[in-house]
Amino acid sequence: MLRNCAMRLRTLGTTPARRPGAARRLFSSEKVIRKDYALPNPSWTKDLRLLFDQFMKKCEDGSWKRMPSHRQNPTRAIQEFQTLFVDSKFKKEEQMSKAQQFTRSFEEGLGFEYAMFYNNVEKRTVSLFQGGLHLQGVPGFVHGGAIATIIDVTTGTCAISEGIAMTANLNITYKKPIPLLSVVVVNSQLQKIEGRKLFVSCTIQSIDEKTLYTEATALFIKLDPEKPLT
Amino acid sequence: MLRTSFQGVARLVRHKALYRSPCLLPRVHLASAFGSSTESLVARFCPEKTDLKDYALPNASWCSDMLSLYQKFLEKTKSGGWIKLPSFKSNRDHIQGLKLPFGLETASDKQDWRLFTRSIQLEGQGYEYVIFFHPSEKKSVCLFQPGPYLEGAPGFAHGGSLAALMDETYSKTAYLAGEGLFTLSLNIKFKNLIPVGSLAVLDIQVEKIEDQKLYMSCIAQSRDKQTVYAKSSGKEICSLSLGCLPLPHPQQRGGKMRAKSQILSWSLGLLGVGMLLARDMDEEKGNKVRITQPATQDSLK
Repeated sequence: MLRNCAMRLRTLGTTPARRPGAARRLFSSEKVIRKDYALPNPSWTKDLRLLFDQFMKKCEDGSWKRMPSHRQNPTRAIQEFQTLFVDSKFKKEEQMSKAQQFTRSFEEGLGFEYAMFYNNVEKRTVSLFQGGLHLQGVPGFVHGGAIATIIDVTTGTCAISEGIAMTANLNITYKKPIPLLSVVVVNSQLQKIEGRKLFVSCTIQSIDEKTLYTEATALFIKLDPEKPLT
Repeated sequence: MLRTSFQGVARLVRHKALYRSPCLLPRVHLASAFGSSTESLVARFCPEKTDLKDYALPNASWCSDMLSLYQKFLEKTKSGGWIKLPSFKSNRDHIQGLKLPFGLETASDKQDWRLFTRSIQLEGQGYEYVIFFHPSEKKSVCLFQPGPYLEGAPGFAHGGSLAALMDETYSKTAYLAGEGLFTLSLNIKFKNLIPVGSLAVLDIQVEKIEDQKLYMSCIAQSRDKQTVYAKSSGKEICSLSLGCLPLPHPQQRGGKMRAKSQILSWSLGLLGVGMLLARDMDEEKGNKVRITQPATQDSLK
């Protein structure tokens, strides 16, 4: 590991120093990089914890599975993706070391607090989501784009179970604004598969299912190594 | 007399006791009472002097494409009708004194709220963007450079981050073009991935304003327009239409005077109703509700 860090430092040294923080980042411990964020933390409200426990119980018989969530993709996965689907001119090693998953780029409790559960038989993904104060749109409510992101992430998990896929279309109808720090259930379902096309539907409801906040449909396309993205 | 009447109504609306009565008085903002023109909305949105930090300014992380296009648009703001929108850390800073329609007010006023697209504070790591707005043509251009914290697929911006920025630009455009407040729908077709650290140019156009709703379209592409990243359409609802009473249509070409006189007669009627209710409550609660401008009542008689 130290040898890899040293190699990367040397590469960084040859490029203009635009981000002084980069070197410090490389020395973050493995533990921080591989932390699983889809687990309760002090910022979770009671509602979110209760719901999480309910779903963990459902996992006991194997029908549901909790999806772990890390800040950074493992290096091997990055390299595989880049080799199979991306033109070499877009490969930037320097950026790969700094990059992190969008939904995990926030301080605890301030951004997306969520845990995802997947049911392989029903092809359903459920996200338990609590929007923090840094996801604000209209004062007091979650930004429409943050809602779009959590829908993209949840429907994406449904689609990725069939193979690596990218979002092609996202159609969202906002019914009611979601208050910040409230807990909602994002329920997505794989509807049908047509060749490389995956159709997924999604709803966002309150815990008691009495309030429908958002409805969405998404289309994902399974990636083909024969047809690169770029 | 009219000015004091409206000031009185605005004070009544702000008073808690009246807020609790369901849907009796919709939000009556002084400027809106006459139907806010885009000019007045822009003037309120872009303060001449402020201590607030404007995040929509160049910094060391901006790529050369973004810097040069920014300069080009800045030149246009001097001559051609474009306006650079400031970007503060919270929407509350943008819309000072914004009162949300009844039923949507939230209890607390926390200081640590941050606008989603300004939440990642490290320069160059999250959203780097600036919006230019053209009031007369009701269109916007957003220069967007996604940082490594917005990653989805390795090396590329997350689809959700582009969706969020599209929604954000729709919101600002809709607010300035017609007091749009909430997004009703968002439909995005992703075509190509945006590499992290590169420039994407978003062109937004207000297509029409109908039934208190704003319909907009957007295309996100590379600077040379050779690569289309995504196309989308969005619909926003005007804040005025979120009250319970029937409201006049927003200003449209050729209908300005009609709209103004409708709003005027409607507002005066409400004023009368409001005054009566306030007096009744005053009797009920033993003078807990105070109308601060007794002169207003007298002037109506």
